[in-house]
Amino acid sequence: MPQTLTQLLDGSVLAMPIAAGLIMGMLTVNVLMLVWAERKVSAWIQMRMGPTEVGPFGLLQTLADMLKLISKQLITPSNVDKPLYHLAPLLAFAPVVAAVALFPFSESTILVQNDYGLLFVFAFGGIAVIAIFMAGWGSNNKYALLGAIRSVAQNISYEVPLILSALSVVLVVNAMGPTLSSGDGVVAINGLDLSHIVMTQDQQGIWFVVLQPIAAIIYFISALAETNRAPFDIPEAESELVAGFHTEYSGMRFSLFFFAEYTNMLIVSMLAVVLFFGGWDGPVLPGPAWFFLKSYAVIFVMMWVRWTFPRLRFDQLMTFCWKVLIPLSILNLLATAFVIAVL
Amino acid sequence: MSLHFAIAAVVSLVGALLAVTQANILHAVFGLAIALVGVAGVFFTLDSPFVAIMEVLIYVGGIAVTMIFAVMLSSVSNPKERESAGRRLLAALVAVAFFVGGALVIAHADFGPGKKLPPSAWGLEQVGRDLLGRFNLAFETLSIVLLLAIVGAIVIVRKESAMPANADEEAS
Repeated sequence: MPQTLTQLLDGSVLAMPIAAGLIMGMLTVNVLMLVWAERKVSAWIQMRMGPTEVGPFGLLQTLADMLKLISKQLITPSNVDKPLYHLAPLLAFAPVVAAVALFPFSESTILVQNDYGLLFVFAFGGIAVIAIFMAGWGSNNKYALLGAIRSVAQNISYEVPLILSALSVVLVVNAMGPTLSSGDGVVAINGLDLSHIVMTQDQQGIWFVVLQPIAAIIYFISALAETNRAPFDIPEAESELVAGFHTEYSGMRFSLFFFAEYTNMLIVSMLAVVLFFGGWDGPVLPGPAWFFLKSYAVIFVMMWVRWTFPRLRFDQLMTFCWKVLIPLSILNLLATAFVIAVL
Repeated sequence: MSLHFAIAAVVSLVGALLAVTQANILHAVFGLAIALVGVAGVFFTLDSPFVAIMEVLIYVGGIAVTMIFAVMLSSVSNPKERESAGRRLLAALVAVAFFVGGALVIAHADFGPGKKLPPSAWGLEQVGRDLLGRFNLAFETLSIVLLLAIVGAIVIVRKESAMPANADEEAS
């Protein structure tokens, strides 16, 4: 009997605050651990030690950093566009938190069940782009503005192959049959429902990374660009742009951008797990354990890539997207549709 | 349900007011984005999650971002500059004419009793079938218009940058 958390709390006034609190708690721990992991992984790859002093293996280092950031004074430069400058960190932060709520951690652990979950995740990503613009323009700083323009150009370009590669998976899911047997009985299959994508892989006994290897590779490359990770971290190339669109932000406002960035890493990894690696599907361990193990494995690869490849130039980045990734993903989509139509 | 509708309606009204009252063009565009999110909320309360999410995906994530991009890339000497009185009067007249016309049409329209359509009537599959079937001509016309707009933009950009770029290449 699958029971989503919302069903469990249904009717209670506390449902919304409890769900929001759960997500916030999970995300805070996630960001603290990811920052620590990133420093440890980079140190390991470069044969250094990384943080060692605070707590065992330096585990509490980021907690200390967080407390420091919270206690810092919020500096507002005098010539900023005040409403935009103040709104931007909140607008960057809110959509990523909302997007996490949509993911099915297991067949029964779903905070928000939605028929169009996949589209919602992409739509929330689109709102975050506006936040970057607000930050870059509102800061009234040439580096912030340049960083924002680069970041947005990159984000809206790489959104195209990202969505096209996800669409190939949706086609495959819908082709797997008009119905799907779930805990609720037989339901009409819906390729845009995140849990249906996972259930299809579970029942067919095959991960879509096998059926859609090209889409998986395109998705991973685009996801790196969407999260502004190296080798696509041009929006905040330290040597040219100081810190990109968040140059003028300090203290807790900076932390919100940082929080959004690392949560975005988790979101694209969770989406990769749902689309290509069978979601919560796995032996022995419970569903959520598999889901997070796989997600963090994807994140580890993202970190590995960051500390392995040098940064691209901006024109290389755009050429690669428009002349390689987008045609390739359209071809992949057409080939998928063709195979489905013939079979 | 009605509380959700009230929130969505207020958000879209506030956004629309910001969009028309702000002198700073970027503030106005952000106001428009807020209004569009509100409209998506209205669709949501009308049990049309697909239309709602498309509103956010296309209008907020696509069109509003493109507008901001265009504003940022064009050189605005004074973002707070106001249009001349004559042009503002003309714009107000056009807006009022549209409002009165639209209101008259809605007031005289006979919508009949409210009815709830089955999910298959507006689902994703039906939208796809209608776009490529019943409304195919309009759909293809729109794509030609968009294609022309893209080609036009490329032509304009090329004319402006053709000379210096070629000179650079020959020099190097």
